[in-house]
Amino acid sequence: MIKQYRRLAIPYIVWLSLLVFIPTIALVILGFTNLTSSIVFSNIQFTFSNFTIFSEISILTGFKNSLIYASLTTIISFVTGYLLAYIIYKSKFKNKFMIMTLMILPMWSNLILRIDGLANIMSNNNILVDLIGFSPLRNLIGTPVGILIGMVFTYVPFMILPIYTALEKIDYNLDEASSDLGLTPIKTFMFVTFPLSFKGVVTGAIMVFLPTFSGFAIPKILSQGNMIFLGNIIENKFTNTVYNDGALLSASILLFIFLAMFLLRRFDKEGETLL
Amino acid sequence: MTNQVYPKAHLNDYGYKEIKHIKPILKILAISFAILMIFMLYLPIIVIAIESVNSSVITSKFDSFTLSWYTNIFNESELLNAIKNTFIVSLIATSLATVLGTLFAIGIDKLPKKMKSKIVFLNNVPILNADIVTGFSLMLMFRFLMLLFPNIFGLTTLVLAHLFFTLPYVILSVLPKLKELDPNFIDAAMDLGIKPYKAIYLIVIPAIKAGILSGMLLALTMSIDDFVISFFNTGAGFDNLSIWIYGVLGRRNLTPSVYAFSTLLTLLTGGSLILFNKINQRKGKKHTK
Amino acid sequence: MKKIYALSLFIVVALFLASCNSKPTLRILNWGEYINDDVVANFEDATGYKVIVDVTDSNESFYSKIKSATTAYDIVVPSDYMVEKMYDEDLLYQLDYSLLPNRDNVTYMSGVSDIYTSMAATTLSRTGETVDYTDYAVPYFWGSFGIMYNNRVAGLETALETYGWAAYFDPTLTASSVSRGMYDVPQFAYAAASFYLEKDINVVTNTTLASVQNAIETANFVQWGDDTLKRNIESANLDLAFTYTGDYLDRLYLQLDEGKTIEEVQSDFNIYIPDNTLVFIDNLVIPNTSKQVSMAHEFINYMLDPEVVALNSEVVGYATGLVEAYDIIVGYADSEDTWYKNWATAYQIYYNKDAVTNLVPLTALSAEQIDKISTMIDNVRS
Repeated sequence: MIKQYRRLAIPYIVWLSLLVFIPTIALVILGFTNLTSSIVFSNIQFTFSNFTIFSEISILTGFKNSLIYASLTTIISFVTGYLLAYIIYKSKFKNKFMIMTLMILPMWSNLILRIDGLANIMSNNNILVDLIGFSPLRNLIGTPVGILIGMVFTYVPFMILPIYTALEKIDYNLDEASSDLGLTPIKTFMFVTFPLSFKGVVTGAIMVFLPTFSGFAIPKILSQGNMIFLGNIIENKFTNTVYNDGALLSASILLFIFLAMFLLRRFDKEGETLL
Repeated sequence: MTNQVYPKAHLNDYGYKEIKHIKPILKILAISFAILMIFMLYLPIIVIAIESVNSSVITSKFDSFTLSWYTNIFNESELLNAIKNTFIVSLIATSLATVLGTLFAIGIDKLPKKMKSKIVFLNNVPILNADIVTGFSLMLMFRFLMLLFPNIFGLTTLVLAHLFFTLPYVILSVLPKLKELDPNFIDAAMDLGIKPYKAIYLIVIPAIKAGILSGMLLALTMSIDDFVISFFNTGAGFDNLSIWIYGVLGRRNLTPSVYAFSTLLTLLTGGSLILFNKINQRKGKKHTK
Repeated sequence: MKKIYALSLFIVVALFLASCNSKPTLRILNWGEYINDDVVANFEDATGYKVIVDVTDSNESFYSKIKSATTAYDIVVPSDYMVEKMYDEDLLYQLDYSLLPNRDNVTYMSGVSDIYTSMAATTLSRTGETVDYTDYAVPYFWGSFGIMYNNRVAGLETALETYGWAAYFDPTLTASSVSRGMYDVPQFAYAAASFYLEKDINVVTNTTLASVQNAIETANFVQWGDDTLKRNIESANLDLAFTYTGDYLDRLYLQLDEGKTIEEVQSDFNIYIPDNTLVFIDNLVIPNTSKQVSMAHEFINYMLDPEVVALNSEVVGYATGLVEAYDIIVGYADSEDTWYKNWATAYQIYYNKDAVTNLVPLTALSAEQIDKISTMIDNVRS
């Protein structure tokens, strides 16, 4: 009887195939050929010449920078985010909706305004210095620490929410059972709690790593234009209408995304902790 | 009976460490850490709030406290236009996404296992994909459609683009709740004579209400602040707030009314969510009584 | 369920239909905050048309929006080199001056005419075509570029006035604590370095790229941005930056609004305009894809009225291309109103029509050349 409901999903399957499959293929085609922006199919040529961009120092540096900062951000978010999620979980503060609200609320302010605000108080002469005489983040602008702080505190909610969801799903009886069987609280955490929440960690790590790897707004503003990131380069290519190079770089990001998705499928089949 | 005093057992005797006395210290450390984290999360919002009451346009100096930027919002026609557009697009896209997403999720939940995991896989792509890639590829697709509908770029493409990346969030919110729902309920309802589609409305939706609501909230949040995807897929003067801010940041000056608006929005959203939560809690208490 | 599907389908179809417009609308693609809302409203009242102004932040964005034709714009406001590029690719509509009667009542500033001649010359050498750009464009605003400096640092002003460009590019000529910033547009950086090296700013070869890269590396820029540069100079977070003159005037006007005098602001931060510097001119052009050509001509005609231009200039900090408008603005120097008086004085100082400077505009470079410059700058910043 319930199988009738399957029909409901058909429009969505069509929609996804149209808007996900086809553009991905289009991107790969753009990257591997010399098709120009006017999309003329008459003299299409399969070529590897676009790969020469990988020999430019700027692209390699951009890749390296994005990779390093994305990884560092993910690690720091993991440590701080897990701590915070665990503290909230242990404190018997059961209202998940309030937690979600608290984490999501900053995202309702425009990203550029928020980062600009951070850049403001990270500068030498800034508004906090004028008001109260000091700023906790003074003179951090342009430094790696400053960029990391900006990225971590923008994306850490994406780490906290999945971990908290996963922690909530753990049966409390397991906790008691492990104590009954003689494990100390620390050992309980290491062998019971953490493994059970691992899929939340994987989800959170992916949700933090991917945007930071491909994003460019935050590093651009906080490094004051001094550092090149992969997102900057792709943005430049697309604005200068050198679509082929841009498409190739985008395709390489897609590689990372598919990797992430395979990881996700392995650890969290139902997509439970994605939210 | 002798009054023998038995020695008190200590954890130390059994090889475990006694941590009862450290517990209060740990608790204080934990709470201070939590407060520090939340403070850091909200620091930019605080800075924006300070700038919104700063009478000086120069963002590095605080001149005097003023609320005039809040009333000035209504004088800035470009800003108002951008805000209006943002709300129109986000509300339409979110409503469509919530309704359609819930229905799609119900359908997906009942698919055979292999197909289901394939669809969930594809469904994750818009969420995980880089904004630039999504925005650009959507624009390519819409340009093909433009041959049929020449004026399509603008509100239409913007809503469709937002729909594209909000639907997955709704579906992802609703699916887990659907899994928890006992299928026997629906069978029982249909045994009692309710038509299958009405059963959705009467049984399924109330049971997964929480999932729908959090999906709607997430969709709205993602849609309101979107920049890159909207940038590539808009037209005909239909700029949203993020595009407008980005455009003004280049050569011209950002009016502090934007800060005022942002603060207002934060306060309004936070306030209504807290209110909503309190109402829910009271309803919950009524039921348990 | 079918009802809900039907309803959603209806909404989506309605959306598609809504995109078909009925009222005569003039669509303008402009820079952010680059037109006075009053001017637009007056035009709407006088003609009964509806005007929609789209905003974007760069010439490249103008180009991709016009090229992809996702919206049929009637008026676009590109800069000099972008007009050249659009002309090369046949994207522009030739203006019909019989619909622009106001043109006969105004004279262009000499600097403006010089720029058009220069543009024609570069086009001639690039494609061999002779073209008169006044056939396609009407000047909107123009402006020069200069070196904004933090006057609170001792000796900086004298260094600039003695050495000019060298004070900006050579760290040995100023104190070691002086921090420098550069505009985040590769062509601007290339042009600035070329002025310093006394080379042609519009020639791009492997040798010139190498020498420019050298110059930029030596200069050691700690900040690359657009509007952040002017804000940081103002708040003393940066000492030297290559910016639009209009950027300086923006901040000057804001400071004047807060009650300072021009002298006070100049002692905090000022702008130095070298003898040979970059100039830009933004023009009103009509793209080929326009659907309302006669309406567009009416708008351009409206923008050739000196009173309208003067009103527009009150909001936009750049220089007007019409001599008559310039005279109106400068006339305010005797006004009783402090705001007008200050505006006129600043105008005379920084946009003086009799100033002797060698103003050179950028020309349209090919996508590959721009990409090369872009990559070179990226390599420096790596």
